[in-house]
This record gives sequence, structure tokens and C-alpha cells, in this order.
Amino acid sequence: MKKNFLPLAFVALVAGLPLVMKDNYYLHLMILFMMWVVIGSAWNLIAGYTGQVSFGDAAFFGCGAYTAGLLAHHFGVSTWWGLALGGFTAVAVGLPFGWICFRMRGAYFALATLALNEVLRHGATIAEKFTGGMVGILIMPSFMSKIPYYYIALAMAVASLASLQLVVRSKPGYYFVSIREDQDAAESLGINTHLYKMLSLAYAAFWTGIAGALYMNYMGFIDPNVVFNLHDISIMAILVGIVGGVGTVYGPAVGAFVMVTVQEMFRSGFFGLFKWLGAVSGSAGLVKVAEVLTQAHVLGFGILVVLVILVLPNGIVGDWPKIRKHVFRLGTGA
Amino acid sequence: MKGTVGKAFVVVAAILSLFVAASAGIAAETVKVGVLLPLTGSQAKFGEIEKRSYEMAAEEINAKGGVNGRKIELLFEDDTGKPDVGRSGVEKLIAREKVPVITGGYSSSVTAAAAPVAQQFKVPFVICTGSADDITEKGYDYIFRINPPASEYPNSVKSFLQGVAKDVKTAALLYENSAFGQSSSKSFEEDAKGLGLKILVKEGYQAGAIDFKPILTKVKAANPDMIYMVSYVMDASLLMRQSKELRINPKLFVGGGAGFTLPEFAKSAGDAADGVYSATLWVETLPFPGAREYFDKFKKKYGSETEYHGAEAYAAMYVVADALKRAKSITPKDVRDALAKTDMKTAFGPVKFVSYDKKTQQNKLDTYMVQWQKGVLEAVWPKSVATKTYIYPTPPWDKRK
Amino acid sequence: MDVFLQTLVAGILKGGLYALIGIGMTLIMGVMGIINLAHGQLMMLAMYVTFVLNTMGVDPYIALFVAMPLLFLLGVTIQKFLLNPLIKADTILPENQVLMTVGIGMVLTEIVRFIFSSDYKYITTSYSNQTFYLGNISFSSALTIAFGIAIAFTVAMFFFLLKTDLGRSIRATAQDKDAATLMGVNTGRITVITFGLGAGLVAAAGCLLAPVYYIFPDLGGPFTAKAFIITILGGLGSTVGAIFGGVTLGLAESMGATYFGMEYEDIIGLTIFVLVLLFLPGGFKRLTKI
Repeated sequence: MKKNFLPLAFVALVAGLPLVMKDNYYLHLMILFMMWVVIGSAWNLIAGYTGQVSFGDAAFFGCGAYTAGLLAHHFGVSTWWGLALGGFTAVAVGLPFGWICFRMRGAYFALATLALNEVLRHGATIAEKFTGGMVGILIMPSFMSKIPYYYIALAMAVASLASLQLVVRSKPGYYFVSIREDQDAAESLGINTHLYKMLSLAYAAFWTGIAGALYMNYMGFIDPNVVFNLHDISIMAILVGIVGGVGTVYGPAVGAFVMVTVQEMFRSGFFGLFKWLGAVSGSAGLVKVAEVLTQAHVLGFGILVVLVILVLPNGIVGDWPKIRKHVFRLGTGA
Repeated sequence: MKGTVGKAFVVVAAILSLFVAASAGIAAETVKVGVLLPLTGSQAKFGEIEKRSYEMAAEEINAKGGVNGRKIELLFEDDTGKPDVGRSGVEKLIAREKVPVITGGYSSSVTAAAAPVAQQFKVPFVICTGSADDITEKGYDYIFRINPPASEYPNSVKSFLQGVAKDVKTAALLYENSAFGQSSSKSFEEDAKGLGLKILVKEGYQAGAIDFKPILTKVKAANPDMIYMVSYVMDASLLMRQSKELRINPKLFVGGGAGFTLPEFAKSAGDAADGVYSATLWVETLPFPGAREYFDKFKKKYGSETEYHGAEAYAAMYVVADALKRAKSITPKDVRDALAKTDMKTAFGPVKFVSYDKKTQQNKLDTYMVQWQKGVLEAVWPKSVATKTYIYPTPPWDKRK
Repeated sequence: MDVFLQTLVAGILKGGLYALIGIGMTLIMGVMGIINLAHGQLMMLAMYVTFVLNTMGVDPYIALFVAMPLLFLLGVTIQKFLLNPLIKADTILPENQVLMTVGIGMVLTEIVRFIFSSDYKYITTSYSNQTFYLGNISFSSALTIAFGIAIAFTVAMFFFLLKTDLGRSIRATAQDKDAATLMGVNTGRITVITFGLGAGLVAAAGCLLAPVYYIFPDLGGPFTAKAFIITILGGLGSTVGAIFGGVTLGLAESMGATYFGMEYEDIIGLTIFVLVLLFLPGGFKRLTKI
């Protein structure tokens, strides 16, 4: 009970946030954060728990988004149906892929997921008549206010975290970890590793697909480069997982928060801090700093990636003891 | 201890109040105009040209008294070339900055994604470049577009084929797999049907290919009278260089806007660019008030060249300022109503938002044909605006000096 | 017939360049077992070096002798200070190294963008547009020279690995790292040198590509993808395999573009990649044994 107190309190806090926070801009960031919680924890199951690193999460994300988009585009079905179906489409794509490609191990599997995403991206571009090609799919969002999206995203994030917790504490969850630790040993213990890897992939594909469908609903626009995007989706998913903590339940939630915040921080020049300082002090130098910072925002992001992997290879949650030790030492030393 | 905290508070409070006072002071004097452009990322080059054009126009307008005495303040929002960032950029402009009007919109996909936001929040959005057809086909009453939609880019080519190159019966169509490329190629196909033009080869490609020889070989074997290409600048250059290598000799090489009009195209393609035609929306030699002046002033001020994208942005600023001046009050609703009544002449051409076919609040403009002649881009069609006569048919490669 | 021959020639010439891009990757993957997802970005960097030198009047083929050592040093630095420390770190996932290369690739791209902006740069030389003809078939001079140099490098690499002590140590590390360590090979040093060599070789590819292509910060990604397809095709650590892999990919792309449609170019490469992974794991190396 006590163990669950912190997450529950946090959920309550997040649920109450729109009551005090009226600014759409921050609500938007929160929705993105919750979407990334869903994607990050899905990635964490397949990669962090089962040890099959996916470099192609965008493939499942895109499947979900296109399911919702195409249903609306061709049949005029509400994109909310897509939200229910998007996950299943992603599973339908993921299972045959996993069946074929789980014969490969480690980095080879990672490359195969990358290839899957590229094939889907090119496919969606070329199949102009069906997908609209690069012109993309545009729908009118159902709600003007962000509040409905906010609570839908929150519900999804909570559901995905709860289901992840359930899965990792169940028998398959332990099998997943044993595959990660030593696949051959797991096999010799009689675990059907191929089957369990596929189960794990199906779970990850499902939630990633749902997140994709949410994206379609919320953003109202997709094209192949937006959803089947290596950097913005696949790599971001990995970063969310790694920054937060590989193989931990709440790691990706922390990772999602950090990554969304940091990304926006760099893009907006530390939320306009430097621009503001420049305007207040009237110093041209600070204004210049603000300009340079926003221009180089992806660079700052990249440097952060390198530093995180170098300093916190197991993420914030995974390396929490290490962080605490260092901070503690610093505290006593000063 | 308490003392220092107290002092810190006083300082912070002082800074804060200063800031509040400063921003309040600005707000009372200026009219905010939101501008959505790609300022970083791979489209930043054009975002920069457009940003400078907006700034130049705003300075001119402010120097002449601004909007009824109030100065225009431009708030640029960087869409980084990504639709989702563009959407949140527009939301930010509307919700946080409370701008009465938004303009800009460079890439088709970002513009298509951002327009519904402006529509839902009922803030007028004056698009200057995003050209996907369906943006003005959704019946949005807060969306206005100054530039012609992608499907109208080949109009001048059509009239050129009817008026001059009447013996062109077959064509090859090569296009980049992008929103602009795919929609332009579709409309060219339709035009070709109307003209009785047979399309022998139709190929899309991924931007950034190293080697176009395989498809060009295919084109050569098909031997069309004309090759129509929708390509961005460097692909355009490679296509022409490799066409020269393979000695492909159609009567016409035509670019469908995009990269073929840029100075970089001619510089990197060298003599392979000579004789190439392109459809375009604007050249500085057009007889519009201020066109030439804009071009020269831009070059003098920034030391770099501008082209039709810049002219679109420059004109958009004037259109927005004109509507702000005429609006009953500076509210989105009144500015929209003023925009709907726009009827003015700009450096980019006459601007009037009309409805035709499926489109609403769309500015209808002519398009032009230009041709590279000895390294200079000359307007050649229609004849009324030509600076040089066209060279037709294009001489075969081995007959050139 | 002309169509077929011209396609064949285009594919083989392009394949030579691909081979050179692939060799660096195959060495790195073979020796360290990691995928270098910053490979194309290293090539991009070399192309900018070539571009800067060219504005000072240096020919791209001479710039090769500057770009290669520079990139070698960069490769050595990356391996020594960014990748090797990760081996020692106690992590759950071994893929941290791969991710690190992704981060490095991003940083390289963005630094270049910061300095040179996103504008396209190009190098025009007297031979950029030059062609010669055999019958009806055209050969681009620059690509033909590039093909020759690429093959020369590959052959040199092959003998280096086969005949020199250093080369043997690299091969030993690639085959069995633990055994090599036991035999007295300083594998830490070998990985550093290998990454340097890989970076140097892809730099050479960049210099050769520069006069016929154009340069922009984002060009790395697609070439990284091609490099790992070639590596999987040819087999890890095999230089001969890289030539086979490069030419096969070049040919497949060209033939595909002519007979299927150019938009399928990338899909064809990826399909071959997955097929090889499934049906010929180990690549051509399994057939040639070198």
C-alpha cells in the first residue's frame, strides 16, 4: 500500500492540474508527456525487460496513427474508433514481423526493426492513392479544448503503467527477464523463448499503436515523415526509456517528463528565459545568446543524449542510488 | 539569513515588476502579428528569406506610420519544418500572445496542419507559401491564401504548350515524393489529359538520390518530346547534369517550380542548366508596383538574393497591414472581415480573396514561364511580361558550344 | 539492350563507392560487434572538410589526404573517450553503445548545421560534368575515377588485414575477442585503431562523392543505412564481402529503379537486407570464406 502511495498521489496531482493550469501551452506539453509515458513504457517492456531492443517503434506508432487516419479518410469513421483499433493493427504488423525476425539476436534484431520502419515509411509514401502519400491525412480535431485530450491521455498513461506493472510481476514477466539475462539458459529451462518474445513484442506494439492513434486524434494531421520518423519517434522512445531507467516500471514516466521538458526547453530557449533576461537588462549579448540557443536546440539535445549515456547508463531511476550517493556526498562536503 | 532572503525577494520583485511594466508598455503601442515559419531545420533557408522579407515590409510600414499610428510587432514562431511543432506554434501565438492575425506558413504539410487550429480558434491566418490544394478547399472562413495552390503552378506551361510548343505530343514526368511533388505531378497529369499529351514515363523518387541514370536511361529510351520535373534544387541540378551525360534531347526541359528557379541550381548544374524552362510564380521583372524595388532593396540590405518565396512573404505583410488598417477594431473577427474585402496591388501581384471551383478565400494569380539563358533567368512567357524571347526547341547537347 | 547496359554500368560505378562506405562499417561491426549509426555522419563531415579545402582551391582528390587523417583522429577520439568507457559500465543493455553513436551522429550533424547552416553546398570541378562514351554507354569521369580509387583502397585494406601484424590483430579481435586478449593482443587499442580506420575509409568515400553529389548536414542518415545493408550483405569484417555487398546493392538499386520504378529504390535495398539476414546470415562471407 505504502509502495503505491507515491504513484497514486502523483496521478491525483496530474489529474487536478487542469483545474489550476489554464494555459493551453502547458497542457499541450503535458499531453505530449503522457503520450510518451505510454510509448516509453511499451518500449521498456520489449527492450528493458525482454532485452530485445527495438529501433523501430515508429513503425507501430505509424500503424496506429494511419489506422485512425485512414478509417476517417476513407470511411468517414470517427478517429476515436481508430484509437480502439490502432493498437490491434500494430499488433497485426508486429506479430508476423516478430515471428520472422526473432531468429536474430541483439543488434541484428534492432536493425531489422529499423528496416521495418523504413519499409513502412516508403510504403506509405508510395501508396499515394490509399494513404494520400506525402500530402498526408488531415482531420478536424473533435475538441477545441485540450481538457478532453488531457484526460484521455492521462487515462492511457495510467492504464499502460498499471498493465506494465501487472505484466512484469506475472509469470511471463519473469520469463521476459530471463530471456534478457540469458536466452540460451532460458531455453534450456523449457521456456519457449520465441513465443514469449512475440508476446512481449505484441504488448509493446499494442500500446505504441494506441499512442499513434491518439496522436492522429490530437494533432489532426499525419504524413509518413511525421509518424514513421526515426529520430522523432524511434530514437525518442529509446531515449525516454534509457533516460528514465531501463527495466524499471516508473523509469519511462520519469524519462518522458525529462525528455519532453528538455526538448521544449532547448527549443524555446529555456522557456524564453534568456530572451526575457535580454529584454529586461537591455543587453544585446543576452538576446544574442537566446538566438544562438534556439538555433542550436537540436545540438543541445544531442549533447544531452551523449552525456546521459556516458554518466547515467541505467537512467535516472536505474542509477538513482548512484545519483543519491553523489548528491549526498556533495551535500556533506559543502 | 532572513535579511538576505528578504533582499533577494525585493530584487526579484523589482525585476519582475520592471518586466511586467515593460511588456505592458509595449502592448499598448504595438499591434502583434504572429508569423509561422521554419527558422531552423532543413527548410530554414527559405524560412530565413521569408522572415527577412516580413521584417523589411514591417519596417517600411512602421516608418510610414504603422497601423493607424500603432507599430506592427512581428512575433516569429519556429515550426522547424514539422507539422506538430507548427500546430503548437500557432496555439501558442493564439493562446499566449493573443495575436489578432497570423501569417506565414511555408511547407504544405505544416500549413495544412496549422490552418485548422487557426480556424477553430477563429483567428485569421494569411498563408503566404504553403501550396497544398486542399488547404483552401475545406471551407475554412478564417484561412486566406495569397499564393496559388500547387495545382495551378503548371498553368503557364499549359498555355506555353498551346501557344508555342504545339508539336509536343509526349512527355515524361519525374517528381520528388513530397507533398508538393506528389500534388503537382497529379495536376500535371490532368492538364496533360486535357492537352492530348501522352505521358510515357511517370516516376516518383526520394529526394536525395545520388544517381538518376537508371530512370533517365528509361526516359531516353522512351524519347519524349518534353520532360517535366518537380524537384528541389540539388536533385534538379543532378537531373540536368545526368541528362546531359546521357545526351537526352527532348524539345523541352521544364521544371515545375521549386528548385529550378534558384541561383544555386544554375551554379551547380553549370552549362547543363542552359535552356531549361521553369514554371514560377514571380520574377522581379514583372510589372507590379514595388517588385523591382523589393528585389533590389533586399539584395542591398541583406547582401543575398531573394526569389518568389520572399516576394510572397513581403506581399503578405502588406496585405495584413492593409487589413489591420481597415479593420473596425483590432480583434480577430474584425480583421477577418477586413481581410475578406481585400483588393490591393502588391509587389507579388494583385491580391483579392475569391472563391472558385472548390476553393474559398483564395487569391487567383497568373503563373509565368522562365528560362535559363546563358546563366541568366529570363522571363519568357506570357509574352506580355517577357524579358527575352524563348529558345525553342532546346538545341541537342552535342550541337551546343 | 542499351537501357540494360547503361543501368548495369550505373549500378557498378555506384557500387564501387558503396563498397568504400561499407568497408569502414564492416571493420567496426566485425571487431566491436556494434553498429555505428554515425557512419554516414562521419562521411558528411569529411565532405565538409573537402568543401572547405575546395574553397581554398584544393582539389577534392588531394583533400582526401587531409580528410582521411582528420577523420582517423576523430574516430580514435570517439572510440577512446565515448565508446570504450561504455564497455566497462555496468548496464542492463549492451545497445548503449549503439545509442551513443546515434547521439554522436546528432551532435556532428548539428555542429555542422550550426557552422554552415542547412544550405546546400556543392563542389564543381572541371571533371564534375565530364563524361566519356563507349558506344552508346556513358561513363561519368568522376564516378569512374572514384570507382578505381575505391577498389584500390579495398584491395590495400585486404592485404593490410591479411599480411601485417596490426591487420592480423584486428582480425583476431574480430573473430574472438577473449581469445585475442589471451594471446596478448591489446584489444582496447585495437578497437580504437579500428574505429579510426573505419572513419578514415568512409572519409575517403566522402571525398570521392563530393564532386558528383552535393553536401548538406542531413545527408548522413541514408548513407548509414546503406552502409549497414552492405555490411550485412558482405558479412561482418570481410573486406571482399564489402565489395560484393556494395556492388550488389548498387546494382540492385539501379536495376530496381529501371525495371520497377525509382521510388522502390530504398525498399529494394531493405528487402535484400532482411532476406540476407534470414536466409544467409553471415552474408557473402559464408560463401567466400574471406
